[in-house]
Amino acid sequence: MLIDYLPIVVMAVLAGVFAVGSLMASSMLRPNRPNPVKLSAYECGNDPVRLPSGERFSVKFYLVAMLFIIFDIETIFLFPWAVSFRSLGLFGLVEMAVFIGLVFVAYVYIWRKGGFDWSAGEIAPNEADEVVERERALFTRSEQEVAKPPDVNEWQGAGRAG
Amino acid sequence: MIRLPLVLLFSAFLFSTGIYGVLARRNAVMVLMAIELLLNAVNVNLIAFAAELQDITGVVFALFVIAVAAAEVGIGLAIVILLFRNRASINVDEVDLLKW
Amino acid sequence: MIPTPALEFRPILPEILLCTFAIVGMLYEAFARRPDPVPHLAIAIVGIGPAAVTAYALWDWSGPSYVLGDTVAVDRFSVVSRFVLLGAAFVGCLYYTHYASRDPGSFRGEFYPLTLFATAGMTLITAANDLIVIFLALELLSLSLYVLTGITGRRRASEAAMKYFLLGAFSSAFFLYGVAMAYGAATSTKIVGVAAPGIVQALAGQTGSQALALLAMALLVVGFAFKVSAAPFHMWTPDVYQGAPTPVVAFMGAATKVAAFFALIRVFDVGLQPLTWDWTPVIYGLAVVSIVVGSVVAIAQRDVKRLLAYSSIAHAGFILTGLTAANSTGIGAAMFYLVAYAVVTLGAFGIVMLVSARGEEQTSLDAYAGLARRSPGLAALMTVFLLSLGGIPPTAGFIAKVTVFSAAIGAGNWPLAVVGVVASVVAAYFYVRVIVYMYMREPAEGIESDDGVMPRIAAGVLAAGIVVLGIFPGILTGILEPASIVRW
Repeated sequence: MLIDYLPIVVMAVLAGVFAVGSLMASSMLRPNRPNPVKLSAYECGNDPVRLPSGERFSVKFYLVAMLFIIFDIETIFLFPWAVSFRSLGLFGLVEMAVFIGLVFVAYVYIWRKGGFDWSAGEIAPNEADEVVERERALFTRSEQEVAKPPDVNEWQGAGRAG
Repeated sequence: MIRLPLVLLFSAFLFSTGIYGVLARRNAVMVLMAIELLLNAVNVNLIAFAAELQDITGVVFALFVIAVAAAEVGIGLAIVILLFRNRASINVDEVDLLKW
Repeated sequence: MIPTPALEFRPILPEILLCTFAIVGMLYEAFARRPDPVPHLAIAIVGIGPAAVTAYALWDWSGPSYVLGDTVAVDRFSVVSRFVLLGAAFVGCLYYTHYASRDPGSFRGEFYPLTLFATAGMTLITAANDLIVIFLALELLSLSLYVLTGITGRRRASEAAMKYFLLGAFSSAFFLYGVAMAYGAATSTKIVGVAAPGIVQALAGQTGSQALALLAMALLVVGFAFKVSAAPFHMWTPDVYQGAPTPVVAFMGAATKVAAFFALIRVFDVGLQPLTWDWTPVIYGLAVVSIVVGSVVAIAQRDVKRLLAYSSIAHAGFILTGLTAANSTGIGAAMFYLVAYAVVTLGAFGIVMLVSARGEEQTSLDAYAGLARRSPGLAALMTVFLLSLGGIPPTAGFIAKVTVFSAAIGAGNWPLAVVGVVASVVAAYFYVRVIVYMYMREPAEGIESDDGVMPRIAAGVLAAGIVVLGIFPGILTGILEPASIVRW
């Protein structure tokens, strides 16, 4: 019955009271002297600079990772089937053929959609200098360049347009 | 011989770590990894039960969970890429066009 | 040599057909020269139609109740849900075809295969008798819906997809943890076991650990509450409803709720039936919180899609109200409510799509000002849907509310019914406010209604259905009565 759950309620209330209570007690007892240095991130010497997020490595790798994970994990079903291949007999073979057929359909879809075209939209040779220039600018970044969002257009070739 | 309650506690600990990761992490890829941790905690549970109960169902289920987790990561990374193309950031706190 | 299991594929023929034609659609999309919605729509309809026929053939099934190694149940309960879900998928495809024709550049042929996959997951989850199958079907429908949410690739849609995905995957993990606990408690993942004892037999015989069973119950509640968007697990609902393309919301809003509730009924009213005294209070609490949160927060919304999202949270609470009566009356009431709700949701979002001819921007309440003067037909249809959502006669929403409240009162939960009635009165305010905007305000400048014919016909048929069900509810209850007894 419901009364059986009373200990759980008591426990939850006690935990909540303890969490809130200890925070409140410490905020009342401790000295409060705010100071901007206390809030800054720890970095030796110079002021920390926030990295433009996502620029550390190309987002293209996520696509490779995605395809790898999906096709790699499929083997998890092949493995137990291979181990007990003889005892599963023809039925197992047919089931596995259906399964691999389905994976193959996905493969065909990705291929037709340009998912394997990892260089799609990448820099043509004559643009390479420009890109090197841009990369170099990122490492010797000035204030404005940090404020500017990273260029994402270069990746967009892999969609329907391709 | 490993005793069942210890394994269950271990998996509960893993699950709690995953919950903390989902709630505390800012980077969407990190949240994705925390979600994987949640699923793997459950896998530990399933295998432990299967061993304790001498029943094959748990092992089979764990295989399915691994496959589903892979599909989930695939979709998750695809959404991350989509978000990145739209916003040039995958920080979940900056996803703010809609009220959180 | 492991013996080949007895294979009886007829009970899952609808799902097989849906998946087959989803794959056909996917291959067509891969090889199509130019984007064209018409062949895609044709492929989807070829999948949905026969699926409905094969589902109907199961109505008078005389074979075993559980097939394919006891993983799939064959009963009228699942046939009803399949019909509703296939109908929702059909209407969703019609809407998207029109939606894509407004802006051919944003057309994605993947919508149709993904919708079929999601529908296959939804129909399977309502027929599944094994928690493994329920989990796989849940993932199939969720993963498809995450992609559908972000299918336009626009900024809003991609953010909605991100939120839906992260919170959805989080809740799936809880659900899965619950399944593992149930397995530990019962040594089986079958809800009803025929060959070997299933969860219900193990719990009834108290052979497993009671603590694990209660833990499983709690975690399964969390997983399901997220999927049916019951408060306090509703955070994703308003954002996803607002951010996702409207045809997707129409399909998702109607179908996900139906599928998740049917699965919830099977898991709790059948599998966890020996724990009824433990889970009814939880459902009771969820119902109260959902009704109050949904009805109160909706008042503050200025965006019609968000308004309908909060309204869907409140409706989840009303359906849970019916389920607090853990008997066939409660199940029948919840089923009636779900059917009425699915029809209304499909219709209302169809109108939302048509209110503005351009893009997604015009979902604010101001766009509805003077709609009656701009396009009286749309305003009239929207009025019918809003009245039904508010539970005002003579619509199906009224009958649905009456049945769930009487089921709750019959089970002695009259305080819950009182909360529901009060919340309905509060909720009537914001539904009526939209009607006031449509009929009593000056038309907003620079907004043109969409003059699409197909969605109008679909919404008109749905509105007619709402009114007919409101006046002659016997038509539906006659069908639901033999279906609302879930066997075990």
